[in-house]
This record gives sequence, C-alpha cells and structure tokens, in this order.
Amino acid sequence: MLPESLLACSPLGDEISPHFLRESDHVWLRALIEACDRCIGRPQRELAERLRQPLVSPAPEGKRRMAAHVLSRLWFPKNTAGGLARRARAAVFLESAKGEAPPGEVLAIVGGRLGISPEDLARALFADLPGERLVAPLPDAQSPGELALRVNLALAQGLLFRATSVRIEVVGNARALVRQAKLRGLLCAIAARPGQASALEVSGPLALFRRTLLYGRALANLIPILATCPRFELRAECVLRGKSRQLRLVSGDPIFPAPVASRTSYDSRIEERFASDFGLIAPDWDIVREPQAVASGASLLFPDFLLQHRLDPSRRWLLEIVGFWTPDYLARKMAAYRAARIPNLIFCVDELRSCARGDLPAGARIVRFRRRVRAGDVLAVLEDGGAGEAPRSSEKGALEA
Amino acid sequence: MELRPYQDAALCAWELAGRRGVVVLPTGSGKTRVALAVMARTRLRTLCLVPTRVLLDQWLREIGRLYPGAVGCLGDGVHTVAPVTVATFESGLRHMDRLGNRFDLLIVDEVHHFGGGQRDEAMEMSIASARLGLTATPVRPDHPSARRLAELVGPTVFELAVADLAGRFLASFDLIALHLDLSETERKAYSERVSIYREAMAQFRRQVPEASWEDFARIAVRTDQGRRALLAFRQARALLGFTEAKRKALGSLLVRHADARLLVFTADNQTAYAISREHLIMPLTCDIGRHEREEALTRFREGALRALVSARVLNEGMDVPDAGVAVVVGGSQGEREHVQRVGRILRPRPGKRAVIYELITRGTMEVRQARRRREALAPRVSPCL
Repeated sequence: MLPESLLACSPLGDEISPHFLRESDHVWLRALIEACDRCIGRPQRELAERLRQPLVSPAPEGKRRMAAHVLSRLWFPKNTAGGLARRARAAVFLESAKGEAPPGEVLAIVGGRLGISPEDLARALFADLPGERLVAPLPDAQSPGELALRVNLALAQGLLFRATSVRIEVVGNARALVRQAKLRGLLCAIAARPGQASALEVSGPLALFRRTLLYGRALANLIPILATCPRFELRAECVLRGKSRQLRLVSGDPIFPAPVASRTSYDSRIEERFASDFGLIAPDWDIVREPQAVASGASLLFPDFLLQHRLDPSRRWLLEIVGFWTPDYLARKMAAYRAARIPNLIFCVDELRSCARGDLPAGARIVRFRRRVRAGDVLAVLEDGGAGEAPRSSEKGALEA
Repeated sequence: MELRPYQDAALCAWELAGRRGVVVLPTGSGKTRVALAVMARTRLRTLCLVPTRVLLDQWLREIGRLYPGAVGCLGDGVHTVAPVTVATFESGLRHMDRLGNRFDLLIVDEVHHFGGGQRDEAMEMSIASARLGLTATPVRPDHPSARRLAELVGPTVFELAVADLAGRFLASFDLIALHLDLSETERKAYSERVSIYREAMAQFRRQVPEASWEDFARIAVRTDQGRRALLAFRQARALLGFTEAKRKALGSLLVRHADARLLVFTADNQTAYAISREHLIMPLTCDIGRHEREEALTRFREGALRALVSARVLNEGMDVPDAGVAVVVGGSQGEREHVQRVGRILRPRPGKRAVIYELITRGTMEVRQARRRREALAPRVSPCL
C-alpha cells in the first residue's frame, strides 16, 4: 500500500480529489521507465537512488514520487549471490574472530579455502543484501499507460486503506464483491436501490462501535473486484492527515484497463448454454446474468438469472440453476425467496444430482434437466405459469430491492 | 515459581492495583518471569501480545518450560488458539474482533508501543479485565500516550531503572563517554549541511513558533527548499555516523578489548556494514535472514564469534547472549534505544563489570543526544532491595 505521505490528492471541500495520472503524464512516465531500464544489471541501491533523482522531463513532484514508489515495487532483484555470500560471511567472520590475522590476511586465507580471490571474497560478503542484489528486467515490459493505471490503482487502494466505511452502488457482479468482503471478515449490508443497482455498505465488526481504520486493507482489496462490474459508484469515509473526508470513485475513473469487448462470465457451461439458447428462442424476453442481490432476513441471495418481458416489465422471474440438491435444500431456498416476497422463482434442477429422496417442496416451479437446461421448458413456465401471475404491486418493490 | 524480591514486589503491586497496570523493569531483569508469575497466580485464560516474531518464539519457549498445556500461537504463519496464547501485535490486532471475548488476562510486552495508534484498538476489542503491561522504557508521564496507556492497561504500578538493579541483580557497569573531533574536511561538510537545515528550520519556526520537528518534516517535503533542508539534515547525520575519529577510536577499542565479548551499536545499517567490512565483524541487521542471525547469536554465545555489530536489530526483542563491552558508535532512536542497548550487556555474572563506550562528536547534535540518553539511565527510586 502507498504510505499516506505519498498519496497524491487534494481536499476539495469535504471530498478528496485523487490526482490520477492521465495521458498528459505519459511523457515523464516514459522517462522514468527508461531511467529504470538503464539500471538493469546494476545493484538495487542504484535503482533506488535513481528513482529519487529528478527526471529529464519535468514531472509533478507528488505524482513522480508516487510513480517511482510503485515502479520500484515492480522490480524483483535477482539474488544470484545468496549461497556464496552466506558461506563467505560464516567463514570470514569465524576466521577473523580467532584474532590471529589482520583483515587482509583473513580474506586471503578464507579466499584460498573457497577458491576465490580476496577481492572477490570481499565483494561477495554482502552481495545478497537487498541493496546489492542486481536489478533484473521486468517479465512484462511496462508502457507509460500501463504504469499510469498501476499507479492510479495504488492511489485508489492507498486512499481506501485509510477508510472507515465504504458504500458501493454496483450494477452486476455484486456476488463477487460480497464474497470477497466475507472472505476478508467484513460485514456487508445491502440497501434497496431502484433499477438494477445493488447498494452495499461494507465495514467490519469494530466499526459498529467506533470509527476505525482497522479494515482499511480489506476494504482496499475490494477495488480490483470493481473492475469486473459494468457500473459502480464507491463512496468512502477516509481519514487523511487527521481529517475525515469523502472519497468518490466511479466506473470510468482511470483505475482499470478499458474493458475489452465485455463478455459475460458464467459459473458453468450449463449456464452459458442456457443463456445462449434462451436468447435464441425467446426474443420477447430479456435475460440478465447475475441480477441484483436479494436481501432475505440476515442473508443475501444471488439468483443466477433475471428473465424480464420486454413489453411488460412487470413480468419478472428469477431463475436459479441448481447443481447438487436435496428437497430440503430447495425448500429452504424457496422459503428464503418467499421471505423476501419474491414468488416468481424457477429452479432448474439436475436430475442426475439429487442427493436425497423425498417430495419436492409444494408450490415450487421446477424445471428438471439432464446436462443441458432446455430453454423451451423454461419459456413454457414463463408463458403458462407466469401469464396471470405478475407480481402484485407490493411485491414489485421487493423484486427491485 | 521462585521470584527475585523485586519481581515479587512488582507482582504484589500489580495485584494491589486491581490487576491492572504497567510494570517497568530494565532489560535483562526478568520481565517475562513476572508475567509468568502473574499467569500462574491468576490462572486466567491469557493472551500475551508481543511486538516481533522473534519475541513470539521466545515467549512460547518460556511459557512451554513452565506450563504443561498446549500454548496457542497467532503470528509467523501459525493460527492456533488455546487458553494460553501468544500473538504478535499485528496478528492480535487482526484477529481480536473474533478473539477478544476469549481471554480474561491480557499481557502486553513492550507496552510503550501502545497508547497512540491503531494498535490500541486491539486492547479495546478485548474484554479482559486483568491487564499487565511490561516495558523497560516507559513513556514520559507528560506525554499524551501515557494517559491513553493508563486507560488501556492501567497506570505504572512498579518501576525500577538500570541503576536501581546494577551491582546486584544486573551487572555493575562503567559508562565512558569518548569525546571526539571532526576532521577539517568533515567539519566543513557538516557545517555546510547544518546551516542549510537550520536556515530552513528557523524560517519555519518564525512562521509557526510552536511547531515540532515532525511538523517541519511534514511541511518541508512540499517545497524545494524544505526538501533540500531535509536532505542536508540526513547527510549531516550520516556524516556523524562513522567519522574518521570514530573509525580510529573503534579500532583501538577492538584491540583493547580483544578478549572480551563485544557489541557495537550504530545509527544505521550502512555504518554497520562499513564497520563489518573494515574489522570483519559479523553484522546483525534486518537484511540478514532470521536463521543466519540465530546462527550468529549461537556462535557468539559459544565464543566462536567475539563481536557483533548492529544498528537496530539488537535494540529490542532479541535474547542477546552475555557480553561485557558495548560500543555505541551512533544511535537514531533516542534515549529509549539507549536504555535497551545498555541492558543488553548487563546480564549478571560473578565478578563482572560491564563497560559501555559512547563515541560522541564534539560541537555537533550528538552532544545533546548523548546528554539525554544518559539521563534515561538515572535511578527511578532509592534502591532498597
């Protein structure tokens, strides 16, 4: 994480304005990369020294220091002298401790034993220390644009590292965010938002009692996940130089590479096939992969698909493709959706993956499949079962929540 | 458990203070033993917080010698929780929101690291009512963190300084200050750099009379003049690190104490390596791997190595074998560091009289630093043990 003293940003009222690197910075970034390239094969301390010096092209000091810090972390110095240096130290200092010979003679004696000259031995003594290790070329050459993105991401994460709480409004892929938050031991509350967005309030247990920076690292680690969300707006309460200020990051900030022809990712081949088949046979219906999360009591539910009629948007169905299952599991799942006042739910269950005998829960709309979900079967449920069962107005809100 | 009289007194003082408070004892006087006695006396579920991984190992070893049950460990890649658990500060902080309700006694080694930062939250998340803090270098009572520490752990309930125990429970020692001069070239370079720094500092002080050095450093990085001043200050300090006179003095001391086990303390790693290259003394720095450091300490203990040179690694949190002579070539962490360093050579032995040499350059910032360092060794109470 970038230390606080290196975070290039300025206060703007109650907000923080991060000084992101943009295209206008590419000239001096190129100069910085070239300066580092010239240190390849030289000791690491020379690279550190080089990164402290001013560049040929004029550069804003704050941004330059930040970029130099990020760049210095990309280089992994090659430790080619580790074994020899350690052997040399053990032998030389033990010999010297005998106190029988002056330093020059000690090096000659030990050098003779190790089969190297006293000068080489003197050089080898500390050749494995971090500053003495040789700078190796980067595995992937950095362009100024790539470096700028790395620095911007480090800046955003560095600011979030100083955050006490975070609120994220996100469209799509909320599941990955919640999963990451849970993995990091964070608390995640979901709030109702109109439309497709999910609003997540993320913090940790101690934050219930006091403002704390304890979860800064975990919160900062959520940022890379946002790269996979089509749209997001993040607001964080950050403490910088002792003052609390708001940080706002939105999709479009120069933190992540431009999305390459965005291709929906699926959890399984079955899901991917179903989405493709359904799109072909049901032109009147929109299919949305991983729609907003649904809050049910203390749990969050993440349906696989939302199916919505194009001409009558009130005809909305959630669909879950279930792998291994038992009737009890389906009943619990259905109860959770009902608790969230969502009755329009279809389970697609794999006949080959039933793990227990028993009756299926009453009232469940279930489409059975083997290896491939038949889109026609699902469409039949929508057209027949769903025609007269559009959600009541009170349920609409719940569906949107 | 057999305790020395002052250890027993510390334990009683802690009990009388309602099982909350800080015990201040010099390095090498057996603070860990007081903590073990507290654990044995109270028989409470205990979490010990220690600053480093090296200390984590040492505490696990010490507890394991006396306590037959399993000892939990949080840190250094291990996560096991038991009724008696040792954790590094960082692991303690990270896991306390899930463990805070599982311990009734909290023991904090080197407690002076708390009282003014995020680490305090680890103690806030613990419900342990019994709390013991241990340190050799307490924060000054007028320092803001002293009040905070009193809230978190309790007040100082027992305090002894090096001078209180030297001669009986710690080795007697002589503190010899060697006042040295800069060469003509060094003096010129030093004066040039110091004047750049002083000019910028004076200008800053005119604008903000009450500002501290930290305020200056924070503001200075924003301007060219400020950055030049900071660089000049660093260069002046580096120049004092290992002057020509210090080089000669150290050479003479190494010859003079050729038969003694000797520790050399420097202000920074670069000086430690310079001394190591020149005199072929094993350096112990953060750059040297943990296993190699342990090997070196073992060899020092066995007598195969007669000297070690270190900047900060030996200051705190390492079980340093017995040594008789210390040479303080330079320091960067003030009086707290000095007390810890002196404590490293005071392990008692019959007939032992330790010697500490301080190399101080006349007419430089080192003179004031040395005066403050010595004040920190003064007795805290009348020794009546």
